[in-house]
Amino acid sequence: MGIPAAPMVTIAFKDLAKTNAAKRGMPLQRISFTPHPVWGKTDDQMYAYLEGNDPVSGKPLMKEVVESLTRPLTPDEAKTGTVTPPTGAPTFTDTADNLQQYFLDNGMTDYMPIILPTQEKVDVMLKATSHKPDEVVGKMTPAQGAFPAWSFTVQQVAVNAVMAGAIPDYFPTLLAIGSTGISALFSSTNSLVSAAVINGPIRDKLQMNYGIGAMGPFNQANAVIGRAWTLMSKNLDGGGVAGETYMGSQGNIINYNNLIIPENEKDSPWPPFHVQKGFKPEENVVSFFFGFGIQQGQGGKGLGMKPIPHYHEAMSANVAPFASLFGALFILDPLVAHGLGDLGFKTKDDIADWLQKNTTVTVKDVKTMLFSGLPRGQAATLKDDDVIPKWERTDAYNFIVCGGQTNPYHQLANMSYRLSVSIDKWT
Amino acid sequence: MKRRNLLALMGMSPVALAGLPGIADAAEKADKSKKVAMSGDPKLTVLNPRGLPPPITLIPMAPRLSTLDGKTIYLVSDGFPGADAFLNQVSIWFKKNMPEVKTVYRLKAGGFADDDPKLNAEIKANGQAVIMAIGH
Repeated sequence: MGIPAAPMVTIAFKDLAKTNAAKRGMPLQRISFTPHPVWGKTDDQMYAYLEGNDPVSGKPLMKEVVESLTRPLTPDEAKTGTVTPPTGAPTFTDTADNLQQYFLDNGMTDYMPIILPTQEKVDVMLKATSHKPDEVVGKMTPAQGAFPAWSFTVQQVAVNAVMAGAIPDYFPTLLAIGSTGISALFSSTNSLVSAAVINGPIRDKLQMNYGIGAMGPFNQANAVIGRAWTLMSKNLDGGGVAGETYMGSQGNIINYNNLIIPENEKDSPWPPFHVQKGFKPEENVVSFFFGFGIQQGQGGKGLGMKPIPHYHEAMSANVAPFASLFGALFILDPLVAHGLGDLGFKTKDDIADWLQKNTTVTVKDVKTMLFSGLPRGQAATLKDDDVIPKWERTDAYNFIVCGGQTNPYHQLANMSYRLSVSIDKWT
Repeated sequence: MKRRNLLALMGMSPVALAGLPGIADAAEKADKSKKVAMSGDPKLTVLNPRGLPPPITLIPMAPRLSTLDGKTIYLVSDGFPGADAFLNQVSIWFKKNMPEVKTVYRLKAGGFADDDPKLNAEIKANGQAVIMAIGH
């Protein structure tokens, strides 16, 4: 704009603010810091911040802000030009133990041992796709808009695939995931998580587990594809640096290998998820969800009803406290999907319609919730006691059938659907 | 990417680097790798797993004002919780300590990282400086 600016940043974001300013071309931007947080503080407490010192520089805060706007620029602050940030040498040579330590010390792992990506192993991986090693797969960023996106090639995805322990058969799926540019380590203070739903015959080709224990550590493909996505999210976009390109206050254990959910198509009474999205049943597809996380649905209201548990009531009660910023993703054991059919819900649309109409909240409750909002254009006319749908649209509700039918249970995630992409394109 | 390397590559002086507390220390730590193996172990060559960051175009900072007296400062919230209340206190501070400064509060449109061209145009037309609150 050509107008002097003085950012005031809470100290929790110190490294992020400084490094991001540098990556965006203003490495010496004059940033003043306040104590953290400001949210939840009284007016007097915040005013005391202003009367105190910048916790980084130790200087009186508001005097520093005024000076930021009035002190003449130094030659470095007025510098122009273009630079390409370094990412290290193309190869590293050392003993195996030292290389393990090197990858670990430089934040290129999930802090568990990796398979060392030798050229030989990477070459084997590359044979699993018809795409050339130097083809650009896509661009990825730890947070859209907040960080510049990095580009990456087929070979760079292969290196990460080897590190995670992938066998070549998994590689097209990993390329499809990479092609979306979706990072599994989205930088937010909210410790968000990502899910990839796998549909199509590839689930059996890769011997994925969509039965007993599908979402636990009981299958190589389920585990390794998820781990590779995390490593890709660290290395292909410079993400996952805590305090700099990852800000989740508490972190999330799901980020180790994400939610990889192969749908149990053969035991489901409904068309597979990718067919809902316009793909053919024989196509291999990965679909993405994103949000706060997942929990179990046992014990919910209505599950004690006989002879058929009222799964729909439990599902509704369980998602009612969710934030409406994200939608509701249900992972239903096939027994639940069939049970819903016995209750009259013959399609996914049937259950979505019922949930949309019957999952409600009061306006008063919405006003006290974080990350929930009133319907657009209606806020002024609604009264506190009015009852409104939790989500306005039925497509806020999504359903994946997965599980081994040892009990009619469901899990539920406060997560939204993002997109679906072809895996076959990457074979 | 090591931040010390990044700054050095940008041609920033050591004095400028020293002005970024915490940055150099963190970079130093990342540069080091503990050697854990015996020197006689066979060596391997492995590939770098990192992607390709885009080039950085250095943006010169806007010229500073000689004084804030009589100037209008826009106080811009990025929309995170608490930023509005915090900037209200900034406005009060100016009224108490620099009453000759006029402040105008605005909430930036869009997500926290989104540009707001309409607001930018307003600031350029009516303001001489910006204080932006980032964090929560």
